[in-house]
Amino acid sequence: MQIAVASGKGGTGKTLISGCLMKILEEENAALIDADVEEPNAGLFFTPASLERNTVHRLVPEIDPDACVLCGKCAEACRFNALVVIADKVLVFKELCHSCGACAYLCPHGAIKEKEHSIGVIEEARLPGNGTLVIGRLTVGEAQSPPLIKAAKQRNTQSAVRIIDCPPGTTCAMIEAISDSDYCILVTEPTPFGLHDLELSVEAVRMLGIPGGLVINRWQGEEKELTCLSRKTGFPILACIPFSKELAQTYMQGGEALEAFPALRSILKDLIKRVKEELS
Amino acid sequence: MKEILVISGKGGTGKTSISSSFIHLADNCIACDYDVDASNLPILLKPYDLLSFDFSAGDTAAIDSEICNRCGLCADICRFNAIDSEYKVIPLFCEGCGFCVEICPVQAIKLRARSSGRWFSGLSRQATAVFFAELHPGEENSGKLVAKVKTRARKTAEQDKIPLIIADGPPGIGCAVISSMVGVDLVVLVTEPSRSGFHDLQRVSELIRERSLKGGLIINKWDLNPEVCNEIEDWAQENELPLLGRLPFSVLIAQSIANARIPAENNELREMIFPLWEKVIEQLDGV
Repeated sequence: MQIAVASGKGGTGKTLISGCLMKILEEENAALIDADVEEPNAGLFFTPASLERNTVHRLVPEIDPDACVLCGKCAEACRFNALVVIADKVLVFKELCHSCGACAYLCPHGAIKEKEHSIGVIEEARLPGNGTLVIGRLTVGEAQSPPLIKAAKQRNTQSAVRIIDCPPGTTCAMIEAISDSDYCILVTEPTPFGLHDLELSVEAVRMLGIPGGLVINRWQGEEKELTCLSRKTGFPILACIPFSKELAQTYMQGGEALEAFPALRSILKDLIKRVKEELS
Repeated sequence: MKEILVISGKGGTGKTSISSSFIHLADNCIACDYDVDASNLPILLKPYDLLSFDFSAGDTAAIDSEICNRCGLCADICRFNAIDSEYKVIPLFCEGCGFCVEICPVQAIKLRARSSGRWFSGLSRQATAVFFAELHPGEENSGKLVAKVKTRARKTAEQDKIPLIIADGPPGIGCAVISSMVGVDLVVLVTEPSRSGFHDLQRVSELIRERSLKGGLIINKWDLNPEVCNEIEDWAQENELPLLGRLPFSVLIAQSIANARIPAENNELREMIFPLWEKVIEQLDGV
């Protein structure tokens, strides 16, 4: 079972919820995958014994100047303007390259080879309770996160439960993170910003045909709004997490949220039960 | 003309509360929202007389099933798994690279321009002009849409001699943020005193250092965790990142946002935020 934890707006509590779900499910051979590779935070709430690090690459073209005859076929084929032919050589703009491989395949002189360009690392650790933590960490300055998200999600495919902590927003990175999931939990807060962005993320989840439900974080008793929200989005409300200053402060310190706010454990256990029911 | 960009790395630290307040406090400015997939600034600025424009970046492949001989070559070479088992293109996965078009032996595939989103310009009581955009869910090219919004805003600023652009930026450090930074005179980093806020701040400030941009730091809700707040301040000093100020946690800010109001419209909050705004102007060497 793969559950994506996503939101439109940032800072609504995705990492809090995915991290706590992981702590509750740890003994069931669970894996937590931090797919918010631009700003991965899930690792801050765990203290793994040892960390295994692997570099992730994507392919970019490299021109063999001896074989290249400056015919310009590669630049013509590249829709992203990543190759430019000048008087005596071909320039490669790695940051514009989408790694589609067309240039290398189409070069009539075999002058292009694809070489690996590092975009970030995947950190992997066994947790004391037998779960696994996988963190994708994009290199600062690298613009494209989807290839790294994809690579992070390819780890630990054997785990019985996989929780994906997703990036905010609704762009291609969020789609990459939630795709192939059995269920998507959308976390929101009851503010105009939270609700506006939630509607956009519901649309994205729908596009992929993934069933989803809502978690309202920092809930302060808004009842009418919730019913309205559920009707508007067509997604059930799975849980409401009341606003708690103790919880906020503990979380800020990187402490144990489940201890600071014990009610959270039963709320999230119910949430897991709800998701399992929705899926059966 | 000068441009200020407000970013944070982590989402939910208060970028929009602060950028909207600066827009309210500035005498004459253009307001921009570069968070093109979840744009919130218009909720507070309530722009009117909106003009809306289609934004198209890149293409999507389309296979003509009548010409297609189902040889499968396109599906084999596509690195984005955008061609399904019935030889139809999955638009969500297609990046428009055109590799399939080039190699199709029977020329059954064509590229079509795809609509990636819309961008808008409007007027507001708070700013001389407002620019923002909406990327369609699942689209890439958020960086290009940011560039579009930025180009239009800068052109308007030049034509109408507006001295300042204040922009609310996207979260993260990826393509949209990198595109937001182009030509900016001051990057205002808004953080909160949490482990994750601090962690993300360090990554985003590395990005501005790499690009030799001038930065300034605001610690929002500082009193929720004075210990981490002190750590952040020490770190900022070591890294020569000027502290523009701290803001305490305030129920009034939460109420402003709940009512879709700009925080600085409230007198008490205005007094709290104004000193930060003065620091911003100081860092800009005036406007």
